[in-house]
Amino acid sequence: MSVQTLFQRSYNQMLMPAVLAVGIFAVLPLVGMFGLSFTDFHLIKGWRGEVGLHNFAKLLDDRKFLASINVMLMLSVFGVIFQVVMGTLIAVGVEKIVPKWKFMRGIFVVPFVVPAIAVALIWLSLFTPTLSPINDFFDIFGITVPAFLTTQYGAIVAIVIADTWASFPFVMLLILAALQGISGDLDEAASIDGATKMQIFWRITLPLLKPALLMVALFRFIETLKHFPLIFVMTNGGPGRSTQATNYYAYIQTFQSSNVSYGAAIAVFLFLFAAIISFYVARANARISGA
Amino acid sequence: MKPSMLINATLGASLAMSVALPTSALADEINVVLFSMPYTQGLAKLEADFEAATGHTANIEVIGQDVFENRITLSFTGKTGDMDVVHTPVIQVQRWIEAGWLRPITAEVDGMATKDDILAGPLDAYLVNGDRWALPFFAETGMMAYRTDLLAAAGYDAPPATWEEMLEVAAAVKTDEVGALAMRVAPGQGFNMFVFPMIMRAYGGEFFADYSGRDLTPNMNTPEALAGLEVYSKLMNDYGPEGIGNFNFGEVAAGIQSGQVAMIVDGTSIAARALDPEQSQFADQISIAAVPSGPAGRSPAIAVHGLGVPADAPNPEASFAFIEWATSEETLTKIALSEAYPDFIRASVASNADVVGKYESIHPDFLSLKVEMLGDAIGHYRPLLPQWPQIGQTVGENINAAVNGIMTNEEALAQSDKDIADIMSE
Repeated sequence: MSVQTLFQRSYNQMLMPAVLAVGIFAVLPLVGMFGLSFTDFHLIKGWRGEVGLHNFAKLLDDRKFLASINVMLMLSVFGVIFQVVMGTLIAVGVEKIVPKWKFMRGIFVVPFVVPAIAVALIWLSLFTPTLSPINDFFDIFGITVPAFLTTQYGAIVAIVIADTWASFPFVMLLILAALQGISGDLDEAASIDGATKMQIFWRITLPLLKPALLMVALFRFIETLKHFPLIFVMTNGGPGRSTQATNYYAYIQTFQSSNVSYGAAIAVFLFLFAAIISFYVARANARISGA
Repeated sequence: MKPSMLINATLGASLAMSVALPTSALADEINVVLFSMPYTQGLAKLEADFEAATGHTANIEVIGQDVFENRITLSFTGKTGDMDVVHTPVIQVQRWIEAGWLRPITAEVDGMATKDDILAGPLDAYLVNGDRWALPFFAETGMMAYRTDLLAAAGYDAPPATWEEMLEVAAAVKTDEVGALAMRVAPGQGFNMFVFPMIMRAYGGEFFADYSGRDLTPNMNTPEALAGLEVYSKLMNDYGPEGIGNFNFGEVAAGIQSGQVAMIVDGTSIAARALDPEQSQFADQISIAAVPSGPAGRSPAIAVHGLGVPADAPNPEASFAFIEWATSEETLTKIALSEAYPDFIRASVASNADVVGKYESIHPDFLSLKVEMLGDAIGHYRPLLPQWPQIGQTVGENINAAVNGIMTNEEALAQSDKDIADIMSE
């Protein structure tokens, strides 16, 4: 047996635990979810024998499901935009504009370590007028703060704000790391050539940050597709069904309606949706990085 | 790998395995899963009493209601056998029976020496298909709590007796600082669908054409239900506190306890909290009254909760021993005295001098009013069907949309009929 074969064999053996772990904890549930989505399994009624694409056909006719995609996209797109803008501005601020404020990084990271349920409870209180210190403060000046959680778009704005607060530190940390990878010589050279700080930011820093921005936006986009605790605690999907994002709708179908196979079909849709977005963004990222 | 790391890893794995093993595998250790309410919180403090009384030990886990639903669904469907006793709301019992998740306890209940001491209504709520499926510990009904000082300042010496009067009183009481009336509006079968039927039924509205005659044709899109929804929407939007459109029972209770609301119509446990000086800033100015009536009479909400034995419970005898102890006169009396728990289901507890003294000191009419409201309540206030959780969720979303102006009242009721028909036809 050659040394190379021996090496390959031990390499494979060492890889086995990781392959097993991924197989058991990631691939197996995924296969189970795909399998369930083709059946008619119902928590109460059990199996009734139908196997096929019926759940996916039903998705196309399900008005509530289609509306939930709209809600999901609104929450994700606006959430990602605000998180990326805020995280980038703060990262650039503490790294380049006011370096003395570097100690603030630790403070900015605090929301990121707060558990999602606690974030939801904090913001539920802040957006409930009878409990909110914000309302009490503005009341002093005779200003009435609207009840965000009771209007269709207000509730979406409220969830986006809560999510932005909790997640911008993630963006900030990644952008900070990317900024530290950009050589200071570039700024210095541009400065000697007479470029202003704004010009340096727009013409040099931002283009160099593009791959990092794209990746962080992708991470956050996929993460925002899983917007569950904020909706569950802050709005219960309301007012009406205004904040029933697709994953929340899958939860309603699975746990309230006991319709497990239909819930699995919605989950399959979400999985494929995230996979397609990831594929295109990764390709775009490779193009930018290679350029 | 260093030897110390190996030992640590082995110990860690052993610990993880011992935690992961269902503790009910041990002979006389009872795992109980309950959702949070004053009774269950009180019961959790009495684990030592159970051990002293029976020799068994109990792990009583009290979790939030929403989390509870998911927790027990996963446990039941996974047939994990990790629960010996489960909180069983009557509103879920038909669904759980149909799914085969509960074990009947007919012989055990019928063999109890103190069975006749349990109020017949709550006890028989768990009698389905000739079998008993749980033993009740809680029977809550609807009740109004109101601020006497605020109503008096608006020129009213008595609370509104009808929903029409409620509109008039609410208009007079509402100020920029204080909302006139708070009720649950958040969507959900246990949230707005606990309170909205009180108004809908008072105006003659029904969920089905003839529930008792088993004609389950959806029947919410009627002038009667519309009248009820119009009153509910108007009361909440015009006279409720700011943000009422997302209020659940927590916000309703906090509203009257903190003085931001003049009246609430909710369950007796929330009314009891409003009257409790330790929990309520204005307890001495709060009184209670019957749920308002309408053209079709009065229909207070009713909610019955009990303890059941999961179908896969490994030791059903020990499970029932726990249930019998947890619903005994002695245990209920202790909890009635230590917690805001006026919703006990034993006649002996209701006549216990200390218990009567406690609740009469909170309000002299509390217990008699509760009995009166229980007498007015109908058992199928929320239809006792396996499909109810799904119907309650969907209709609750439509009603919430109407109150928040996302749908018109007419659209919400028409949509509810359509949704119910879809659910019933599945």
